[in-house]
Amino acid sequence: MDALVLNDVRKSYGNREAVHGISLTVREGEIFGLIGHNGAGKTTTLRMISTLLRITSGSISVYGHDVTTEPDEVRKIISYLPEDAGAYKDLTGRAYLEFMASFFASGDEKRAMVQKGIDIADLGDRIDSKVDTYSKGMMRRLLIARAIMPSPKLAIMDEVTSGLDVINAYEIRDVIRSIARSGVTVVMSSHNMFEVDMLCDRVGMIDQGNLILLGTPSDLKREYGVDTLEEVFVKAVKG
Amino acid sequence: MSHMTSIIRKEVRELLTPGSVISVLVMVVLFAGLGGLIGGEVDSAAELPSFGLIAEEGEYYDGWDPTQILYDAYGEDASKIVLMESTSDSTDAEIVSEMREKGITSVIALPNKASFSESMATQTQISIGQYYLYQPTGLFGTVGSTVMSSVVSILNSSLSEILVSGDSSDVNYQFAINPLVTPDDHISTVVDGQIHSGITPMDISNEVTSQTLMIPIVIMIIIMMVGSIVISSMGSEKENKTLETLLTMPIKRTSIVSGKIVAAAIVGLVYGLAYMVGMSIYMGSMTGTISGSSNVDLAELGMSLDMLDWALVMISMFLAIVCALGICMILGAFAKNYKSAQTMTMPLSILAMIPMFIIMFTGWYGSGGFLQAITFAIPFSHPMMAMSALMYGDVTLVLGGIAYMAVFALAAILITVRLYNSDVLITGLGQNKYVQTLTGRK
Repeated sequence: MDALVLNDVRKSYGNREAVHGISLTVREGEIFGLIGHNGAGKTTTLRMISTLLRITSGSISVYGHDVTTEPDEVRKIISYLPEDAGAYKDLTGRAYLEFMASFFASGDEKRAMVQKGIDIADLGDRIDSKVDTYSKGMMRRLLIARAIMPSPKLAIMDEVTSGLDVINAYEIRDVIRSIARSGVTVVMSSHNMFEVDMLCDRVGMIDQGNLILLGTPSDLKREYGVDTLEEVFVKAVKG
Repeated sequence: MSHMTSIIRKEVRELLTPGSVISVLVMVVLFAGLGGLIGGEVDSAAELPSFGLIAEEGEYYDGWDPTQILYDAYGEDASKIVLMESTSDSTDAEIVSEMREKGITSVIALPNKASFSESMATQTQISIGQYYLYQPTGLFGTVGSTVMSSVVSILNSSLSEILVSGDSSDVNYQFAINPLVTPDDHISTVVDGQIHSGITPMDISNEVTSQTLMIPIVIMIIIMMVGSIVISSMGSEKENKTLETLLTMPIKRTSIVSGKIVAAAIVGLVYGLAYMVGMSIYMGSMTGTISGSSNVDLAELGMSLDMLDWALVMISMFLAIVCALGICMILGAFAKNYKSAQTMTMPLSILAMIPMFIIMFTGWYGSGGFLQAITFAIPFSHPMMAMSALMYGDVTLVLGGIAYMAVFALAAILITVRLYNSDVLITGLGQNKYVQTLTGRK
């Protein structure tokens, strides 16, 4: 089953069109990477999938639910992790997970969900510390745990390892792999071509609001006759 | 020094944003306009109101003709002196009835000539009467009492002058200095249809003012404080992208908006109650020290508040806080981050200050139609004036205010929900096509 279908999606801000008719399909259980330089339209696309921004024209469906006509249904099955997101600083990590879990479950189900979040975050005793004492890596682990604990069908992650050190980025990538293995479809954006190459089953490249490439990393590298996805990116953009 | 200059220039540039400059300019224009309006009220209050005179025609004593003396004293304003048909023998009810008929709110009543002469002969202080129809008109509602004091003073001086200028060997100087007096039992004030002795409108106004003066200030502080908390919270949520996360959760937008507003309103009400308790203790200790000077019992005048009145005051305050929060949620939707959210509180502060000044200076009842329209339209006015309105028995104004605030709050919540369903919350106003057209940006 197709987890995500974008059909000629356009987004305009006033007179400026930021996304020019993107069409793509993401299959269930896939890790799909959106790449492109700053301002290419990746975040706008992810926000439209997440129901945060309205589509100017075209359509997006998540597991058969249209984001425009059934946003509430879509929100039940997705988890969105914005770039540089934070958490409520006055809460402890545990209280934050409990607060977020309360929107999905109650009673034992909620307790199990929170425990799952605590296990994913893997913060040890620090789960009971205030969020504003967390390092960037700890915060990202907590937020990923928040995004995954309700067992979404589609996880949308914007620049998930941006600004993290090598160890933290490595661990986060490991978490994403395990999420996908459990059957969750992942759509992520990243500037790190190495990360996308390693993680993603397929990649879509956006340039100036247009989808200019789509395929598996190995197919794209073969097509362009290069060894890395980074070189594919440069050749595709600069010609 | 150049380093410091660079820092100063950078800081000034950051602080003087178009938004903050526009807010300050709007504030200046608003206050200038408000000053003009209140100034107009002061001018009209400063005008001599018409007052009635009960006196027999002609000379009372040795060339002393009170009617003529007052005509001479008021000169061009002599037309404001209304000669009453009632006499010193008329009953209070008859005098009050004539006052209503002639549309005057204060009357001074001299005794008849025979009684006057008798008192002059025995050098006994002469009692003159004062009658008032009480009208609650803010700080300027006591003009009638002031005019009556002035009339008594004019008559006293003129009579004194005659007494001391003649053969003064057998004059009791204490009597000569102050021949006319108004004992408490000669003062009658009509409040809500009932005649009360011994109190003037000024006494009542002073008592009501002492109990309600701080209310507008307290409400203004609460509105500004609660508003600031909510707008800052919105700015913080946007900066941390926690709002973005929340908006992708399976929660109805109305639940998010209502949850935020109700929580902040409860906190605001708790703050409000704490302030009210503090203020009432403060005012209690203040009035306690001057209790000997106040002879007004508002309960006796039917002007004290009962439990239902207090409930209405609380409802009014709660709804005003909800309205403030609704406005803050709308303003906060346009904030980019915590810092920009701070400047967004300015319109709310202005809206809280305008009714405070109007109510403190002219009061609802002392304002003209335009000023009343402005006051009514600003939801924060209603709890500011609810207490005094209830003291004056004007339940209609309070209930009208509550109904208006309920509609206002609902509209604010609906607008906020609409904003939460739009792109503005995520992209800000910069991406709005109308704003782009206005600013010429693409």
